[in-house]
Amino acid sequence: MTVSTGATFETVEPGDDLPAITVELSRDYVRSHATELGMAFPRFTDDEGAKKEGLPGMIAPGNMTLALLARELLAWAPGGRVLRLGTTFRGLALAGTTITLLGTVTEKDDEKRTVECDVWMETPEGDRCVIGTATVALP
Amino acid sequence: MGFADIDRSVIGREYDRLTYPPVTADELIAYARTLGVTDPIYLDEAAAKAGPYGGLIAFPTFVVKLRGGQHMPKEVQREMSVGGFDAGKDLELGVPIRPGDVITATSTITELYEKTGRSGSMWFVVFRQHLTNQNGETVANVDSRIMQRGRAEKGK
Repeated sequence: MTVSTGATFETVEPGDDLPAITVELSRDYVRSHATELGMAFPRFTDDEGAKKEGLPGMIAPGNMTLALLARELLAWAPGGRVLRLGTTFRGLALAGTTITLLGTVTEKDDEKRTVECDVWMETPEGDRCVIGTATVALP
Repeated sequence: MGFADIDRSVIGREYDRLTYPPVTADELIAYARTLGVTDPIYLDEAAAKAGPYGGLIAFPTFVVKLRGGQHMPKEVQREMSVGGFDAGKDLELGVPIRPGDVITATSTITELYEKTGRSGSMWFVVFRQHLTNQNGETVANVDSRIMQRGRAEKGK
């Protein structure tokens, strides 16, 4: 298994890992992006509001965790295009924690010059709180 | 009433169509900046001109902001309680969004189904925003999967 950045179609192979990226989900960061998304709901903006909804504390919106997986893909392949990204929100991405974005190449299509990837987000405990698959056109 | 009572004719029927004002560079940059993106093709108009798209484009997941006007058809919305949550999202991406684009979001329900697990019954609603630009090109299909736990009859 190799880990590469600046990925191009010629240089990647199934089994390659995408570089792990750690992201601190600070409360200010989550609140700011949730507000930008037009989703400034209590569960995404303050701990007390989130607790009233039965959550342990404020969380990142699914729309933000999805976007972080796209960041993972495009940090690996800066000139690439994400053609498809499918995600399942399995657990909570809690604000105030540091999550890790990971991925691996699963298939390569020589005709379309695309790759299929598994991508996921891990909590500090190692739980995969968001999982996904993506199709990326590589330069 | 409950999810089981929703008339399935709701599936596939367009329930909302919204055309947004022209997208601005500032909107695209604000989205990318608050997400923490660092690639200048999403942040800097001048730098992006020399890039592969010849100008600024939207970071691909910007499309999730374009949720249309009415979130769901009324007959589905009234069965949702506060406990519903986002179970997942699938994006198919077409041409990139650029400043000045006029995007239309057309909304339909694509699936409505029940799953029974150890914790009881769960209902899933999948609704799709089909996004097109002023040239009729597909910008994205955004499928959102909302999960709602089954609940007792409320005598509605």
